[in-house]
Amino acid sequence: MAAVAAIYDHFQRLNTAVWGISTDSIYSHKVFKEISPSAQQVQFPLVSDRTQKISRAYRVLDDQTGATFRATIIVNPEGVIVSKMIYPREVGRNAFEILRMMEGIQYGLNTGLGVPANWVPGMPGIERDPDKIGKI
Amino acid sequence: MNPDHEQEALPVEFFDTCEQPFCASRDDFAPAFNAPALINNEISSVDLLKERGKWVILFFYASDFTFV
Repeated sequence: MAAVAAIYDHFQRLNTAVWGISTDSIYSHKVFKEISPSAQQVQFPLVSDRTQKISRAYRVLDDQTGATFRATIIVNPEGVIVSKMIYPREVGRNAFEILRMMEGIQYGLNTGLGVPANWVPGMPGIERDPDKIGKI
Repeated sequence: MNPDHEQEALPVEFFDTCEQPFCASRDDFAPAFNAPALINNEISSVDLLKERGKWVILFFYASDFTFV
């Protein structure tokens, strides 16, 4: 969470809101933000899904525990899901990968170019030319 | 949710006839919600429908006080 907070400015520049969501109560969120050094850095909303309805609707609810999976879902400006990543139990997110995806999505939309594997901002995209099929 | 070990040998063909439920996957609409949220230490709320025109990253995490 602190890792995303550290690069939150970059998301803002990409016209992107970031919301943290768990099934904890709003009161738990408040104390969490007050006492956890990493949560103190969080400047984006922490949403309480205490009814579990949001997690269930997005199909990320672990109903054995009542907690959500560690998941990152990107919603476009029209309200459509463009990416959904569910992480292993043991491993935290890579905030830079989430930022790279946002940059890649917008680069692809703005240029019409394909965004190749391991692309990072500054690298060229790929022309969607049928003559190039099989040649890259 | 533990995998059901009786199902672990189901072949891909089994899923041909099984109706696809709503999976909240890529290209599905994002279910709308309005929920309480802590914003800058104030108890407030968020409404996904009000974010039309912006990108939104929903960052689900298991529990407060655990690492995400």
